[in-house]
Amino acid sequence: MNENQKDLRLLPTYFKSISIVLLVLSIVIPVGLSLLHWVDEKEVLKTIALTGIINALFLLSITKDKEEDELTLKIRLKAYTFSFLWGVGYATFTPFINLIVDGEFVNTMNIYQLLMSMLFMYFMAKLFMKRNR
Amino acid sequence: MKNTIKVQRAILNITQEELAQKIGVSRQTINSIEKNRYVPSTILALKIARVFNTSIHEIFELEEED
Repeated sequence: MNENQKDLRLLPTYFKSISIVLLVLSIVIPVGLSLLHWVDEKEVLKTIALTGIINALFLLSITKDKEEDELTLKIRLKAYTFSFLWGVGYATFTPFINLIVDGEFVNTMNIYQLLMSMLFMYFMAKLFMKRNR
Repeated sequence: MKNTIKVQRAILNITQEELAQKIGVSRQTINSIEKNRYVPSTILALKIARVFNTSIHEIFELEEED
């Protein structure tokens, strides 16, 4: 088996705890800074929160599950494929949806929305496929 | 692809969990293979055959649609 044929190299299971801590901190820190009025620029706080949440979810997505074997790997790869297709579809059809809803053919979606929705779809697809394996 | 894992397990009197432990996969994976929902890799199929001390052809068989 050559290097390219080897399975995905995923992070050890303890990264699950690290990503959950990062996820909580990404919400708590910006909210705390806002409440204490240490940082009043909402866009900066929003960027900190969203970057943290996306990184935490990404970390979680590349962390091994408790039980990891070839079937779970296949499920993982299918879920990644599904989330990629979802992302392309979401980005492509957003202007059409805006045209129907607002009457303007514009893409109002930002990169955070796209990545967040792709990660969300990944976890949903993985959960669904694991339950029905 | 159909298989005779359930029968082979009954002969050896081992549970799905025990077979899973012997070949290093989850019980759900064995269940999926038994129910023909998942076709295992060659490596996993060979490991299963080794547990049952038989050839891979005794366990897995191609069907018309394969």
